[in-house]
Amino acid sequence: METILKLSVSAMLPVLMSGLLYLAEKKTKFGTLSYRTRQIITGILFGAIAVFGTEFGINAGGAILNARNAAPLSAGLIFGGPAGIIAGVIGGVERWFATFWGAGEYTRFSCSVTTVIAGLIGATIRKFMFDNKKPSWIFGLITGMVVEVLDMLMIFLMNMSDIHYAFTFVQRCSIPMIPINGISVMLSLLIVSLIGKERINIHKEHKKIIQTFQKWLLLRIVSAFGITCVFTFVLQTRVSNNDTNDLLTLNINDVCADISDASDANLLSLTYNVASEISAAEDVDDDLLLGLSDKYDVAEISVIDKKGIVTKTTHEPSHNYDMADGEQSAEFLVLLKGEKEYVQSYQPTSDDPGISRKYAGVALPDGGFVQVGYDARRFQKDIDEQVVGITKNRHIGENGSIIICDENGVIVSDRNNYQGKMLEDTGLSPDKLSAPENQRFTAEVYGETSYCMYTVSEGYSIIAVTPVSEARFSRNISVYVTVFMEVLIFTSLFILIYILIKYLIVDNIRKINKSLSKITDGDLDVTVDVRTNEEFSSLSDDINSTVATLKHYIAEAAARIDKELEFARAIQLSALPSVFPPYPNHSEFEIWAGMSTAKEVGGDFYDFYLIGDNRLAFIIADVSGKGIPAAMFMMTAKTLIKSLAETGIEVDQIFITANEKLCENNDAGMFVTAWMGILDLATGMVTFANAGHNPPLVRHRDGSVEYFKSPSGFVLAGMEGIQYSKNELQLYPGSMIYLYTDGVTEATDANEQMYGDERLKSILISLSGADTEAVCKAVKSDVDTFVGDAPQFDDMTMLCLEYKGTSGFTEKKEG
Amino acid sequence: MTINKNTEGTKLTYSIDGRLDTETAPQLEADLNKSVNGITELSFDFAKLEYISSAGLRVLLTAQKIMNKQGSMVIRNVNDVIMEVFDVTGFSNILTIE
Repeated sequence: METILKLSVSAMLPVLMSGLLYLAEKKTKFGTLSYRTRQIITGILFGAIAVFGTEFGINAGGAILNARNAAPLSAGLIFGGPAGIIAGVIGGVERWFATFWGAGEYTRFSCSVTTVIAGLIGATIRKFMFDNKKPSWIFGLITGMVVEVLDMLMIFLMNMSDIHYAFTFVQRCSIPMIPINGISVMLSLLIVSLIGKERINIHKEHKKIIQTFQKWLLLRIVSAFGITCVFTFVLQTRVSNNDTNDLLTLNINDVCADISDASDANLLSLTYNVASEISAAEDVDDDLLLGLSDKYDVAEISVIDKKGIVTKTTHEPSHNYDMADGEQSAEFLVLLKGEKEYVQSYQPTSDDPGISRKYAGVALPDGGFVQVGYDARRFQKDIDEQVVGITKNRHIGENGSIIICDENGVIVSDRNNYQGKMLEDTGLSPDKLSAPENQRFTAEVYGETSYCMYTVSEGYSIIAVTPVSEARFSRNISVYVTVFMEVLIFTSLFILIYILIKYLIVDNIRKINKSLSKITDGDLDVTVDVRTNEEFSSLSDDINSTVATLKHYIAEAAARIDKELEFARAIQLSALPSVFPPYPNHSEFEIWAGMSTAKEVGGDFYDFYLIGDNRLAFIIADVSGKGIPAAMFMMTAKTLIKSLAETGIEVDQIFITANEKLCENNDAGMFVTAWMGILDLATGMVTFANAGHNPPLVRHRDGSVEYFKSPSGFVLAGMEGIQYSKNELQLYPGSMIYLYTDGVTEATDANEQMYGDERLKSILISLSGADTEAVCKAVKSDVDTFVGDAPQFDDMTMLCLEYKGTSGFTEKKEG
Repeated sequence: MTINKNTEGTKLTYSIDGRLDTETAPQLEADLNKSVNGITELSFDFAKLEYISSAGLRVLLTAQKIMNKQGSMVIRNVNDVIMEVFDVTGFSNILTIE
C-alpha cells in the first residue's frame, strides 16, 4: 500500500509539470520564446523528472518501481515531438549510467531503451496521428500503458537465461507500473485540458470522420484484444490443468505400482508357504487351516477343489461356496486352467463387500488351489518397510511431492519428514480424501496452496501434491507474454490502420474540401487534384468537370446579362434628347449635351425642354449607385421631374415635390443629385435649384470662368420633408453655363489621380469662344487623354448652354 | 480599403482607411447591416478616408436613417476633401459631423 502511495506521488510529477508548463506558456513570457527554445526547456524539465523517477524509484522486493516513462511521453504528447525526444534521451541515458551509482543492472538495457522509445513514441504519435495536436486523455492512458508493457516485455526477453526470476520480476513490477504510468500520462493530458478550459466531452453536431473512425477502431481493437486475451487465458488454463492432472496421475500410478508390486510379492510368498504345508499334510482339515492361518497371521485360508468349490476354509460361511458365484472370487478360476499363481489387489470380497481383503491363490499339485487372504493391517505390517520412504526423494515437478498415509491417516512416506505424523499435520484435511479418487482438488498443503490428487491402493492413500504457483507458472508466462505481445501487436495494428486511413482517405478528403471551399468562395479556376488512388482520382475528375460545366453556364448567364444590360443602356440613352440643335426655331440659346457611358449601366441623366414658348428647363442629375436599379430610378426621376416642370411651377417647388414622391417606396435607399435651371429666354435670368449636385461652371462674356457656387440643398429622395431654395443666375448674351456630373471631375488616371475641378476650369478657360458642342467634345477629349488606359467606372455626362439673347435684349446691368 | 471595427457594448465605431466608392461601399454596407442591430451610438472615423463616392454617401444615408430610429450617429475627423463632398451634396446638413 505504501509502495503504491509513493509510486503515485512520483507519478504525479509529470502531471504537475505539465500543468505548470502549460500555464507558463499561456500566461508568462515563456510563451513568447521561440518554439525551439520552449521545446528544449520543456524537454530538459521532463528529462529531469524522468531522472528523478530513476533515482527515487521505490524498491519493492528487489524490483525498482518508478514512473519514469510517463515524463517523456507527456512531454512528447502535450508539448511537442522535440521536447519528448529530448526528455526521453535524457531519461534513458541517465538510466544507463545510473547503474554506476546503484540502479539495477538487471533492467539496465530494457529500461534505458524504453525511456528513449517513450519519448519517440510520444513525438511520433502526436505528429502522425494527431496532426501535431494534443491527443485526448484516453490515448494518453493507452499510450502510457503500452509503453510500460513494452518495458516489461523487454525486461523479460532480455533475461531469458533465468525465466523464473525474470518472470517473477515482471509479474511484481507490471501490476503497479503499467497502470500508474498510464494514469500519469492521462492525468497530464486532463490537467492541461482543464487549465485550457476545454470541455472534456465536446459535443459537436458533426464529428470528424477521423474521430468517429478513431472511436470505432479503438473499440474494435480493444474488444478483439479482450477476446484474444480471454481465449488465451482459457486455453492456457485448460492445457495447464491437463498437464497437472497428467503429472499427478502418472506419479500416483508409479507409486501405486511400486506398492502393489511389494504387497503382491509378499502375499504370494505367504501363499506358496501355505500351499506347500497343505500339500505336505496327510490330512487336510479345517483345523490344519486354522493352525496355518494363526502361524502365518493371515485372515483366511481356503482350499478349493477342481470344480471350484470351497471344500475347506477357516472362514466358516464360505464352506461349499462356488468360486464362480462371485465376480471377485471367479477371477481365481484361472488357477484351474493351468495358471500357477494369481494375486488380486486389495478390494472388497465377493461374499461380504463390507470387508476388504487382498487374496492370492496358488495351484495345488493334485488339482484345485489354495487361496489365502489377508487384510490391510497384516500386509502393511509386512510391506511398510518397503513403503516407508518410498516417496522421500520423489518430486513432482520442482516442489511437488507425494504423501502416503495408511487407513488411519498416519503418514507413511512423504518428502518433508512428516513420517509418523498425522495427515492433517501437513495442512491437508483427511476429509478431502472423501472426494472421488483420481480427481484434482485444491488444498493447503505444507503451507502452500496446491493441487492434489489421491488414489487408494493396497489400503494406502497416495496423495500427489503440486503447488498451484508451480502448476500455473508456465500458464502464467504464456498468458503474460501473449497478452503483452498482443498489446504491442494490436497497438501497432491500430496505429497502422489509423495512419493508413488518415493518409489514404481523410487527408485526401481534407484536400478536396479545401479546394471545394475555394471553389465555393468563387474561384472557379481551382482544380481538385488528388491522385493517390483511383477512387480519389475519379472523384477529382468529377468535381473538375462539374466545376467546368458550372463555369460554362455562368459564362453563358453572364453573357446574357451583359446583353440585357446593353439593351437597358440603349433604352436609357434613347430617353435622353439627342438631336442637336433641338430647337432650330430658337435663336436665343444654343444647347449641347452628351453622356459617355462607362461599361456598367449607370444613373446619370440630362434633360431639357421648353416650358411654354418662353422658358427652357434644363437639368443634369446623377443617381447614386449603378446597374439596372440606378437606371430604373433615373427613368422615374427624369419622368417625374419633367411632368412636374411642365405644370409650370417654380424650380424649388419641382424639387420639393419630386423629393417627396421619390422618397415614397424608396426601400433601396437610392438618391439623386441634381442641378436644375429654368432659363427665361427673354431676360437671360436662370432660376435654379441644387439638390446636392456639383456646382456648374459659368463662362462669362469676357471669357472668365468660375464655379457658380450656391447653397446646396440635400440630395433628392434622400430624406422626406427637405426644402430647396430657388436661386437666380443672370446670363447675358454670350454667357455660357456648363453642367457636369462627377464622372468628369472624378475621372482617374492610372496613378489614381482625379481629373479634378481645377483642370476642368482650366480647359474651359482655354476654350474661350468655342460653342457648346465644341466645349463638350473638347472637355471629353481632354478627360480621355488624362485617364489614358485606366478603366472608368462612372458615366461622364455634361450639358452646356449658351445664352445668345434676343433681338430685343436689353442689358439692365452688368458686372 | 480597410474597415476597422470596434464594438463596446452598444457603441460601434468604424475607422475607414482608403476609398469608399462603388467597389468598396458594399463591404461596409454588408458589415453594417450585420452589426448595427442593438447599437445606440454609431460613429465613423474618417481620418484616413481618401475619397467618398455617391455609393459611399448612400451607405452613410442608410446608416443615418437607421440610427435616427435607434440612437445617434456621429462622423469624426472629416478632412477637407470629404467635407467638400458633404457640403456639395448637402450631406453636411443631415449628418452630425464633429
